[in-house]
Amino acid sequence: MNGGRKSFGAKKGGRAGAGAQGKDGQRRPMFRRRKVCKFCADKIDDINYKDTKLLLPFVPERAKILPRRISGTCALHQRKLRVALMRARQLALIPYTAE
Amino acid sequence: MTRKYELVYVVSPEASDDQVADLHNQVDAIVQRIGGSIEKTENWGRRRLAYEIGRHKEGTYVLEVIHGTGELMKEIDRRIKVTDLIIRHLVVRVDEAQAVIERTKARRSATSQRRRVARGLPADRLPGEGQRGDPDDDRDDRFDIGNERGMDR
Repeated sequence: MNGGRKSFGAKKGGRAGAGAQGKDGQRRPMFRRRKVCKFCADKIDDINYKDTKLLLPFVPERAKILPRRISGTCALHQRKLRVALMRARQLALIPYTAE
Repeated sequence: MTRKYELVYVVSPEASDDQVADLHNQVDAIVQRIGGSIEKTENWGRRRLAYEIGRHKEGTYVLEVIHGTGELMKEIDRRIKVTDLIIRHLVVRVDEAQAVIERTKARRSATSQRRRVARGLPADRLPGEGQRGDPDDDRDDRFDIGNERGMDR
């Protein structure tokens, strides 16, 4: 059990090293800023469909809903956000699509 | 079983102010007849639509917060659907969601007060304390939708 966990850790470390070497032009390993959920960080409880100022950053040019892997929103808030965005779309507060 | 609902409807831009007021009176009449109450009415004014709805590019938004039964909302919904002047509407039940929000807020403030007391600080945050501004301060303008023009993107 313990050995298994250890080997997993080693494997992970090895992979990260390979990733850093993969970017052979750069010396520093690729540093990605840790994403945090905007709603958790700012303590926004109410994700409201009327609040277009809050929602608009989550609908980029094509007006598609920004995925969690990009925005870093947590699962709970992404779910609430999706409902709010869909309601706002119904009322033409935000677009369904954009050319 | 009375519940809290939000009704938002978009009135055609051709409608005059009187007609918009008349629509509100019609809604009010149904609410009175079936036995409910209107908590508040907000007119957001004329706004640009994010997309065209049947050739219309603008619309007058009206929000009504209604206490009543599901039957009442069903009747309002039915009446709105046959009203040609209203180009889009949305009915949302809000009481449960608002209860959840209040519970979360209460729990958060209770936790923070307990922790602050445990650290030997006064229970409530003093003005000017903390590393960054209180998020509530700069978010006062969240709902003034009416002032925000030309938000097409």
